[in-house]
Amino acid sequence: MESGVFFTTYKADMGLRRKPVHKVRLLVFVAFLIIFPFLASRYWLNLANQIAIATISAIGLNILVGYTGQISLGQGAFMAVGAYSAGIFAARFGLPIYLNVPLACLITAAVGVFFGLPSLRLKGLYLAMATLAAQVIVEWIITHWTSLTGGTEALVMPAPTLFGQRLNTDFRFYWIAVSMALLTALFAANLFRSRVGRAFVAIRDQDIAAEVIGVDVFRYKLLAFAISSFIAGLAGALLANYRTIISWERFTIETSIFYLAVIIIGGLGTINGSFFGAAFMTLLPAFINNLGRALQTTAPAVAGLLPAVQQAIFGLAIILFLVLEPEGLAKLWRNVKDYFYVWPFSY
Amino acid sequence: MSRKLVIFALLVALLSLAACAGGGGGAGGAPIKVGAIFDLSGATADVGTPYAEGVQGFVKWVNSKGGIKGRQIELLFQDYKYEVPVAEQLYTQFVGEGAIAFMGWGTGDTEALRARIAEDKVPFMSASYSHVLGNPAEAPYNFLVGTSYTDQLIIIWKWILEDWKAKGGSGAPVVAYMHHPSPFGLSPWQQGGEEWAKANGIQATAYEMPRGATDYTAELTRIRDSGAKYVVFQTVSSPAALALKNAASLGMSNVTFICLNWCADELAVKLAGPAAEGLVGAMPFTPPTVDVPGMKDAAEFLKSQGTSLQDKGLHYIQGWATMAVMAEGIKRVLDSGKELNGENLKAALEGMSNYSTGGVTAPITFTPTDHRGSKAMKLFRVKNGQWEQLTDFLSAQ
Repeated sequence: MESGVFFTTYKADMGLRRKPVHKVRLLVFVAFLIIFPFLASRYWLNLANQIAIATISAIGLNILVGYTGQISLGQGAFMAVGAYSAGIFAARFGLPIYLNVPLACLITAAVGVFFGLPSLRLKGLYLAMATLAAQVIVEWIITHWTSLTGGTEALVMPAPTLFGQRLNTDFRFYWIAVSMALLTALFAANLFRSRVGRAFVAIRDQDIAAEVIGVDVFRYKLLAFAISSFIAGLAGALLANYRTIISWERFTIETSIFYLAVIIIGGLGTINGSFFGAAFMTLLPAFINNLGRALQTTAPAVAGLLPAVQQAIFGLAIILFLVLEPEGLAKLWRNVKDYFYVWPFSY
Repeated sequence: MSRKLVIFALLVALLSLAACAGGGGGAGGAPIKVGAIFDLSGATADVGTPYAEGVQGFVKWVNSKGGIKGRQIELLFQDYKYEVPVAEQLYTQFVGEGAIAFMGWGTGDTEALRARIAEDKVPFMSASYSHVLGNPAEAPYNFLVGTSYTDQLIIIWKWILEDWKAKGGSGAPVVAYMHHPSPFGLSPWQQGGEEWAKANGIQATAYEMPRGATDYTAELTRIRDSGAKYVVFQTVSSPAALALKNAASLGMSNVTFICLNWCADELAVKLAGPAAEGLVGAMPFTPPTVDVPGMKDAAEFLKSQGTSLQDKGLHYIQGWATMAVMAEGIKRVLDSGKELNGENLKAALEGMSNYSTGGVTAPITFTPTDHRGSKAMKLFRVKNGQWEQLTDFLSAQ
């Protein structure tokens, strides 16, 4: 029976997975991810892909908002840049997925840095307004630069091909989406064990103090914008390759707010919280939908009312989470782990 | 701690329940499965709800008559709240459960699913009449029952030219095109409407109606000062009604206002009140105020349900007629004795020539190279708060 976690070397203390149980858990999780697509129906694969892409985007936003403390309302716009870049490279230049996605990420990173420039002078809500401007400007450019983006018409791209396989089914795309989500999570987890990641956290906690101890605040803020939008671009580019049809309506301000909700519910400044939040925000509406369908035959009167109360249920669930566990699902998960860690002799 | 555990346990229970509910069934068996997504609680729920009731009404009516060649239609449907990701989830769910055809709703979901339905070979009809969806080279499995937005606008342009001449106007008529700030709003303008106006001597200018605006006086003042005598709306009912009221208070009584199909309905008349008087409507589906033979079934069905077509309105008959065309396609596949699947249904629909909907729409014709079912429609005008027929079928060609 252990009474706590003690490490005798710095290396062990800095480890990504510090205890054997972490490794076992990771193995179980990865094994589940590998087996899942062979058992799941197309509906569940579609949900899994949506969650994987939402997780990537949420991690990107979490790096900026949760770890560096720079509030952004421009996530939808950055995803749009990624999606349209990938789409244009694929449709107009015939670039394959392994080229159009990285290029889209780089372009989005550059756009992110540009819109991150106001963060030199602006903080908090004022920065939120500046990123809101990014959202509006990008939306306007996409809908009006008709020759490049197709304007308000949807941009259609060919289904991506990898290793001679057309990635046109949910099953095939699952492997791309999930492996990219895992890579992104691994990258982000390691980022915050590095000097750069710690500088981000220092800026979030107290930017003046961070500057005093030698963090180049402006440079690191821009770097946070670059990394965050690189990942947002990845999510957007994957979404484009997954759906093969891109319309700006998918990347409105509502998308930006959706992802803020994802990371708040999941847990600000946590990697697994990004996943929990994405899964929760995708599965809860799906669950309510299925409940509605189940009631269509058994209780049509209730099912008729359900669309009206559906939104309220969703809002209520979010409020309850925020009140009962403000640190999000990630904290809840930690509580469960802590509980079982000392089980059955908890105090 | 225990409280939090309870929450966690509840969450797990919720999600596993969802898992149970979501398990898909297989295809086959007697009922014909048709998937459908409706907007019952989203941005367009005001018109989405009667449309949904119309689709469901037709299915109930057909089933009560013994179905299509003895097979019942099973409509797999759910509210998607006008959210594209939800539409995609429901689409995969219903197709996974064996839906062979799909009834969509808005521009966003129809565009987003366009590539997927072509991969899956699922014929798709929605209430988005974007011109490009009628081109099989771009959207092989989309079928338009209503007149495409571009065709509607061209018909309106033609009518304006005639009306302008009849009123003794000289030179090019000045027209303002006020549109919703979305693909839906711009689609007829960008997909051929602007070009047609230029080529045929109409001086048309587009004005965007900003999202969430509570007043259009600024836009309307600019339009008045431009000397426009016609204003064409491509938006939904409530903004159009608001603009009509603003125009009335600006005293623009010498201007003719025209609505394309999504603001030409009972709701616009109700919301705008007296300001709607004289409003011209481009209506691919005949409103219930005008009696045509194609409405008899729907009217009788609704009477048996204790309500009336007048109460349900134009969008009910729109949903009913759209589903009726899909059902006719299904019937033709069954008649031919072929296997009922998406490919054969597409072929059957493409063989549909001058199919009469009893005057609800112009006769429907689909061909392998053209999925715009009706290229003609009637114009209607509001008189004493009622839509009355103004012209016979006008064609865009």
